[in-house]
Amino acid sequence: MLGYVIRRILLAIPTALGVLTVIFIVMRIAPGDPAEVILGEYASQEAVEALRKELGLDQPLWKQYVDFVGGLFKGDLGKSPINGQSVSLLVARSLPYSLELSLAGIGLGVLFGLPMGILAAVRRNSFFDYASRVFSLLGLSFPTFYLGVLLLLLFGIKLNLFPVVGGGDLSNIADNLYHLFLPALTMGLIMMAYVSRMARSSILNVLNEDYVKTARAKGLRERAVLYKHVLKNALIPIVSIVGVYSVVLIGGTIMVELVFSRPGMGKMMIGAMKQRDYITIQSLMVIYAGLVIIVNLLTDLTYGFIDPRIKYD
Amino acid sequence: MFRQDGKRFVLVCFGILLLGALGYATDNWLDIAVDGGDLSTLNPYFANTTVDRSVVHKAYNALIRYKLGNIVEFEPDLAESWEVSSDGKVWTFHLKKGVMVHDWTNPETGEHHPSYELTAEDVVHHFQIAADPNQSLNASAFKGMTFKAVDKYTVQFVLEKPESANLFLPKVADYMTGLIVPKKPYEDLGPDIMKWMVVGTGPFKFKEYRAREAYVLESWDQYFRGKPKLDGVTIWYVPDLNARKLGLMKGDYELIEGPPSQPWVEEMRALPHTVVDVFGPGERVVFFFTATMEPFTDPRVRKAVLYALNREELAASLGPDITEITYSFVPSSLPGGLSKEEIAAWDPDLLYETNIDKAKELLAEAGYPDGFKTMTICSERGQYLLPTQNFAEQLRRIGIDVEIQIVDHATHHHLIREKLDVSPIILYVCWRPNADVLLTQWFYSKSAVVVGESPIQNYTRLGLVDVTGDGVVDSIDPLIEAARAEVDPCEQAFYWKLANLKLLDWAVCWPACIQLFTWARNERLHYGYDLVADLTLSPRITEQTWLEQ
Repeated sequence: MLGYVIRRILLAIPTALGVLTVIFIVMRIAPGDPAEVILGEYASQEAVEALRKELGLDQPLWKQYVDFVGGLFKGDLGKSPINGQSVSLLVARSLPYSLELSLAGIGLGVLFGLPMGILAAVRRNSFFDYASRVFSLLGLSFPTFYLGVLLLLLFGIKLNLFPVVGGGDLSNIADNLYHLFLPALTMGLIMMAYVSRMARSSILNVLNEDYVKTARAKGLRERAVLYKHVLKNALIPIVSIVGVYSVVLIGGTIMVELVFSRPGMGKMMIGAMKQRDYITIQSLMVIYAGLVIIVNLLTDLTYGFIDPRIKYD
Repeated sequence: MFRQDGKRFVLVCFGILLLGALGYATDNWLDIAVDGGDLSTLNPYFANTTVDRSVVHKAYNALIRYKLGNIVEFEPDLAESWEVSSDGKVWTFHLKKGVMVHDWTNPETGEHHPSYELTAEDVVHHFQIAADPNQSLNASAFKGMTFKAVDKYTVQFVLEKPESANLFLPKVADYMTGLIVPKKPYEDLGPDIMKWMVVGTGPFKFKEYRAREAYVLESWDQYFRGKPKLDGVTIWYVPDLNARKLGLMKGDYELIEGPPSQPWVEEMRALPHTVVDVFGPGERVVFFFTATMEPFTDPRVRKAVLYALNREELAASLGPDITEITYSFVPSSLPGGLSKEEIAAWDPDLLYETNIDKAKELLAEAGYPDGFKTMTICSERGQYLLPTQNFAEQLRRIGIDVEIQIVDHATHHHLIREKLDVSPIILYVCWRPNADVLLTQWFYSKSAVVVGESPIQNYTRLGLVDVTGDGVVDSIDPLIEAARAEVDPCEQAFYWKLANLKLLDWAVCWPACIQLFTWARNERLHYGYDLVADLTLSPRITEQTWLEQ
């Protein structure tokens, strides 16, 4: 098991390096000079050249790349050429907001989506089943940013229950949760739709298996059949979909943070992109890639807990 | 038991909501949401974006300032009076006494520095930095000037050549490098920290910077015009328009930046307790024709285009409430600009009143009876894209098919400034403070893109090429230079007007209109002056600004 985890982590390094390299190259070859963006429309050519030199943009690409990768290994993400702030500090300040949003979204999605899917499958063709299917369809159809705006209008403006901007104070749990609720609900509703749909279809498949019929024929109670025989076997595809959509959800935080104006990595990414702050963008991409790799790793490891037949050789 | 737990749970949830709501209660603090992800640089020697100005103008002062709500007249700021020598070469400013610089704490050393009185030494130090091309964006404006502290409260600017008030005063006013950075904080903090930390003499002083989230300023009790009525201002970086709007509706922000969009203005006007400010100077919408690219090398083609275009139609499409029509390259609101009547009095043909038949006739004469296909590189921003789409649509009537190649804004700037003959038609939307800057940046031979001595934005390469087809290089350099050397404001404006008429005659650009700025505010917010136009390019927040409780 430990060997497997180490192997997966080692395999993740070239993936992360590949992502980093692609991002680095794309940022450098994209037209639009950071120095021009910083200095704005008034800048003379001399001023732009002077700033390019100051930012190290006049250095050969390979040197800029080596410096950046070297910095990463030392845990130094560099300084934003735009505002002169340490990117590590910026990330440290914004990462908790993105992380809590992703976790809350995934948590809400699994917590409510899984029971909803199970119930819909067990009570197939009932009113609840139809209602949950309609809900899933809506959830799958709504883009996160649109759903976010609708929730803002309803809960933030009409009912005046929740704030519409900001992430709250991290040191104040109440304030933080108060600000987290609507963005987490936005992401959670989408996740819930995916999870409930997958749970329903997966359980329906298992319900028709022979071993389920055998269990029932043995006279087991329906609850025992469901929990011991059906759910355990249906969980593998559900965990897969949770893993896949958790990754999607992590990317989705960018739009949600923008809509709710949360000071997380997504908002930071959009700002950095607008300003051609390539150092910040590179760093954020590495962190996003890292999060995706961690989620994939956790998903793989979860299989083993659910199904002991899966070996990590 | 479960019922009890349920009740407790509901109470806890309610408490959480209440705590959050209390945390959000506002007092006398102004929250502004601007359209941007973060600041770019607050170092006043470089700061020039609207987002950065929204901070810088609250923390710094200049020797003189544009009268509130005015973009032409000046009034004292740090200086209580000023005079110019009879030869126009020595400008003397007498500083106000008792102007206190904000106290500050160096974030690296942790050392606190007390407030001190601003003197001539600070002013001289500031302009010495402003004149250094390695430390300032606008150094060329101070070329050939020396700065002298005559005594503690008197500063002299000694010029190599005389300059008129029209040209000199904007350089020391509250626009770009005119904002004075006191000497001690600049030396203590250095340019790197001053990218994000402001220490000046303005009504608000630095409190906190949360990168990519917000900039917090608190009122400066010792401000020389009196303690500000507000306790402080937070500038929130909110790139999403919808988030800004919802924040205003909810009361999280009292003032938000809007887009130059008529539907947005109407939508915001319909909201309760909301006031929409539409104000100047706005941004000039000017289409330039690259007279070195076929078929725009032929003046008949350029004139045909001008006759096919209709300013009223463009203004209607952009929004009648947010657009003002212009007829000359330098807008008539600035000295040297021309109104419709002035152009008509000089030569009515230079108005190029819409005449499709005449446009087609000219095209046929130039050898394009069925029109032609051309292209333009356009920024993805709405203020570029919408005018360009209307422009292209109007030209379709005379058979000209304009392909719009949309790129992101930074790419647009990069391409049009760093490549030669990259686009036959170039739209530029911006404001500049005076005729000299406008004419120099776009039509002075030295400003020719790529090939000029100091390349800026002269896409047509006027002054280096023949644009009229008579075999002679066409230039307005002599008029620009004559205006610069002229100290009499009327004579100077006359040269600029002549230059404008030449540009119209040569049909090298289409000055179409001005898109005004649009901001929305809660009716609780009162600026303390009439907002008509402001060179901060946003509503100016002063010590007089207040929030109705």
